[in-house]
Amino acid sequence: MARTLTFKIFRYNPTKENDEPHIDTFELEETPRLNLFTALHRIREKQAPDLMYDFVCRAGICGSCAMMINGRPTLACRTLTADLADTIELYPLPFFKLLGDLSVDTGVWFHDMAKRLESWIHTTKEFDPTAEEERMDNATANKIYESERCIECGCCVAACATAQVYPDFLGAAGLNRVGRFMFDPRDTRGEQEWFELVSTDIGVFGCIGMMACDDVCPKDLPLLEVFSYIRRKMNSGVKVAVTEMDLT
Amino acid sequence: MTGIDTELYPKAETRHSQTSSAFKKAKKALRDERISGLTGAFLAMFIWGHLLAESSIIFGKETYNMVANFMEHTIPMAQPVLFIVTIAFFVHFIWASRKIPGKLRDRKRMLELGEKLQQSSKGWQQDPKSDIKLRSHFETSLWITQVRTGMIVLAAGSFHLVLVTWNLFSDMGYVGQAIGYTADLTVSRMSSGLWILYSVLMVSVVAHMAIGVYRLLVKWFADTWFVRNYAKAFFYLLFTFYIVLGTITILSASGVWEGLLT
Repeated sequence: MARTLTFKIFRYNPTKENDEPHIDTFELEETPRLNLFTALHRIREKQAPDLMYDFVCRAGICGSCAMMINGRPTLACRTLTADLADTIELYPLPFFKLLGDLSVDTGVWFHDMAKRLESWIHTTKEFDPTAEEERMDNATANKIYESERCIECGCCVAACATAQVYPDFLGAAGLNRVGRFMFDPRDTRGEQEWFELVSTDIGVFGCIGMMACDDVCPKDLPLLEVFSYIRRKMNSGVKVAVTEMDLT
Repeated sequence: MTGIDTELYPKAETRHSQTSSAFKKAKKALRDERISGLTGAFLAMFIWGHLLAESSIIFGKETYNMVANFMEHTIPMAQPVLFIVTIAFFVHFIWASRKIPGKLRDRKRMLELGEKLQQSSKGWQQDPKSDIKLRSHFETSLWITQVRTGMIVLAAGSFHLVLVTWNLFSDMGYVGQAIGYTADLTVSRMSSGLWILYSVLMVSVVAHMAIGVYRLLVKWFADTWFVRNYAKAFFYLLFTFYIVLGTITILSASGVWEGLLT
């Protein structure tokens, strides 16, 4: 027999005058293979036309529909109601700017992070459009690909207690991004530049190892592996920097 | 992603100044991290040995006296180790506590997130039959536990260190006793009520140590073969072993099971 699901959804529209944050309750008949994304659509169609939430791809690629589902930050489109209890609590992601109801602005934070980390390939090489592409070995390409799979949904940052307290902290997404460019042989940034960028208390040493990012990442990125790679790189990197200083 | 090829790391190309404030700041952050991590690792290893040595009371007073005599007189290592550990203890407190948010509001925020975050291992599935039950995120709560036990260890451990320093260099007025530790001294003190304080200290220190080792291993070695799951297993092993060992030791030393295995 189909279950009747109870949705308790956080509602607040900051643009509406006199609107207070509150919880609205909705009921919905469960249908086979129902996911939360579809469930939210149905609620909006029939019960609450002003319900705000983000979605684009409904396939776990765009990272828009991340929200706190029963206390866990994850993607609504990849969550089946069959895996959840009869009561489902939905809250917007913490940390990010609330746009309204379940919708948050992750874009500004990610854009800012990308600018701080200068998240592009730094190279002094002149681009020659006629030259044959440089080859990269498969292992390197795979490592870059693994980090590049990040969809910027913001779940890792929302789950991170450090990020909640230190808003400047790069977070798992930021450190993973640094790792992606460190792996890349085309990026010519040297040890010292990386060192200044991430060997800080808002960089890799800001992480105190609560591992929630690794637990909640909907894309199963190898976050902890990237962090400890960066950590050890920073630990040995300073040696190089000091030796260089001695020589000059 | 194990065994990342470090050859891939681009060659140094210094564009920034070695004396820049960013570089100095980065060096300081690395130094701070090394100090807190290394003192933590040292103290953890000390605790492994310390609790093993103390557990000799399980085998009776003679064994305990033998171990104490060996470490204090045959090879006088207890005295310098005490000195080094005392320094490491306070250095570790100062450097490790820099990560604890200063404001009560921030600490509450952390606690709230740790408690509200659904227990969420990668294979997480909520039981569809049960209503929502929010359980704390394990590793986030572990860190909060570590902060709390750290404070207990700071208070109870300071007392312990003062007491040990006093005992190690005096005969405590016991007639016919040598300077330093003896089983009689330990047993009489423990059974007179100090077992309460030592029970609290033992549980706190073991929890703090096991969690610290787990986090240290994950932070520095998650990309080697020693992945998070191994570190977690090691955490459970350390915690269980030393809690059991510590409990039996305290029971023996406070006279409940005098010389349990003799």
